[in-house]
Amino acid sequence: MQRKPNLAEVNAAIPEAELLKEIGSGGFKIVYKASISNQTEAIKLVYLPKDENDETVLEENRRRVFRELDILAKCDSPYIVKLGSIEPRPLEIQSNSYVLYSEEFLPGDSLQQLLGSGHRPAKEEILELLACMLGAVQNLMQFRVIHRDIKPGNIIKTTLSDRPFVLLDLGLAFAVGGSRITRDSQKIPGTLYYIAPEMLEMNFRQNLDFRADLYTIGLTIYEYASGINPYARRQEDQFTTLYRIKNYKPKPLNQLRTDLPTDMCNLIDQLMRKIPALRPANIDQLLKRQEAF
Amino acid sequence: MKLYAQAGYGPSEKINEGLSENIIQGAILSPKDMTKLAMTEKIQFIRGKFPKADVFIDPQFYVGLYAASPEINLGNIGDWDYFRHYTKSELEISRNIDNLLQTYFGEIADLNVTGVISPNIYISQSFDSREAVIAKNFIRQARNIIEAQSISKPLYASLVICREALQDQKEFEEFLNDITMIDERPDGFYVIVGSRSHEARSDIFHTDIIANWMMLNLSLSINGFEVINGYSDILTAFLGAVGGTAGATGWWSNLRTFSLDRYFPAGGGRLPVIRYLSNLLLNRITFAEKEAISAFIPDILNNLPHDTEYTAENNESGLPAPERAREILQSWEAINTLNQKLTGNDISKNLDECNNWVLRCAEAYGAIANRGLVLDSHSNNEHVEPLMEGLRKFREKTEFG
Repeated sequence: MQRKPNLAEVNAAIPEAELLKEIGSGGFKIVYKASISNQTEAIKLVYLPKDENDETVLEENRRRVFRELDILAKCDSPYIVKLGSIEPRPLEIQSNSYVLYSEEFLPGDSLQQLLGSGHRPAKEEILELLACMLGAVQNLMQFRVIHRDIKPGNIIKTTLSDRPFVLLDLGLAFAVGGSRITRDSQKIPGTLYYIAPEMLEMNFRQNLDFRADLYTIGLTIYEYASGINPYARRQEDQFTTLYRIKNYKPKPLNQLRTDLPTDMCNLIDQLMRKIPALRPANIDQLLKRQEAF
Repeated sequence: MKLYAQAGYGPSEKINEGLSENIIQGAILSPKDMTKLAMTEKIQFIRGKFPKADVFIDPQFYVGLYAASPEINLGNIGDWDYFRHYTKSELEISRNIDNLLQTYFGEIADLNVTGVISPNIYISQSFDSREAVIAKNFIRQARNIIEAQSISKPLYASLVICREALQDQKEFEEFLNDITMIDERPDGFYVIVGSRSHEARSDIFHTDIIANWMMLNLSLSINGFEVINGYSDILTAFLGAVGGTAGATGWWSNLRTFSLDRYFPAGGGRLPVIRYLSNLLLNRITFAEKEAISAFIPDILNNLPHDTEYTAENNESGLPAPERAREILQSWEAINTLNQKLTGNDISKNLDECNNWVLRCAEAYGAIANRGLVLDSHSNNEHVEPLMEGLRKFREKTEFG
């Protein structure tokens, strides 16, 4: 994370919480496990970049983060992480600007951690994951929001029976038809291996829709089920990876997981089609298909 | 995959016979070629006698932009209150589209059709055009208007596009991305791909056209829409293989391939020779060619009931060909059989079947050439390579196999 403050500085700025430890860090965000009124929560600190030549940049970034948190507050899907007891507020530490807020702390492991441990899910678990993520995206669609960063690291497999999988981190969420998220309209947001192919088109923002999230749901499930991200190669330069995201057809899932039903594997493959119009996009119908497997 | 009669001038008993033999499963009626009264009676008759048959009306509004042309032949379309000449500028105003749709749905509400095909214009150049924007507005607005009129029949949005539009891959894919995400969803689409002339076989039998017409069917069906393909003729089975719901063909060549020249009558000419649709050859050949080729490649014969009408002893004329009015029954029977062979539930398997079929077709044409037989320009193998390449391109673009 850029301009990462030290734990003591943050602790001093949040008197109502006792920070226990840092549990995650991204490009603009740092996450702490904290105790607030004897409850465990995840405290998030989002760094707001500024531009010395343009004073409006900082304010624009601040507004954007608050907008995203407003959306998160409205989402009522159990499969989307919920805000915690600390309301979003601006924070200054050593002349750097941040937004501070808390989210519920979910007991469990991320799919990334489970993949690292060699876990291979059974059919039932995969179907449950699919249903939860479709439910989450359906809820985001109501607010015309695209998550854009669905990946194993952003999904927690919890120990909660009514919320088996929960989607985290709306940090890259993008309101359809809304203002752009970065100053550079050509910059592609998201994590390299999980970028939907249509996001590699020039002016992709004009045409982006929730099918980009369906793609990353498909890709995440493909990886979780098989242990393989078809676009991740060691020591490969970024341009080659992007080329493959755009042009390379992954091996059908049923060739990697022969124990899974072929129709179910075909559906996961379909979600990963390069052309959005070739992905099944009617979520109600997808949920019905998922139930039928 | 269903097969419908693409009705035109002079239906006589053809549709009834096709339905009674179950070699077609419905009909798409043509306002140009039938008075409104005759159409009402025809629908009542079909629905009464063949309750399982589907009946649709093609609104043919796609000629509306050309209706002021002095050469145009609109036939009976003028019977319909909704139909008149419009300019593109008029149709850019959404209120005009609303009014037009309201009038049309009001008129069709009383007719006992299976589903309502809503009007649309012809996209004559590109998906990146004023026409495409207007066409999308027709699609978007139809759902709200039909619901406001409390018509509960399934709604099919027309999508009438020139072949050239299908050749611009990027614009085509963007258009596809748009229409599959329309909020005001119709239940299905009535797709027509227009050629420059209904005689120009290579216009439709072209790699890009075949691949993208198939892709249109796949994409719409994946997204939960039914797809009725007008004027799809022999391609019907290939479209069904990738998710299409129905295809259609008729008894004149201008009912087998769509072209606006159907509305701009040409000068007179001789009636075409009676032909036989060989499923193996994926083509119609003259009855004389059928006699000659079948002697050494018997597999070009479909061996279906209507084949018996292509024997000299069964015809008063003494020729091995049926009377003209019965030629279409053989076509329907052949295409209906091909549909059953090539369209199952598994698209990958269907594509393999299609590919094998075209390979067998190519081999048969190779055997004909080895015998030194020269076929006429409509019977030859011009369609085989585009079909093979079209299938290959479709697989590549859609990531099937």
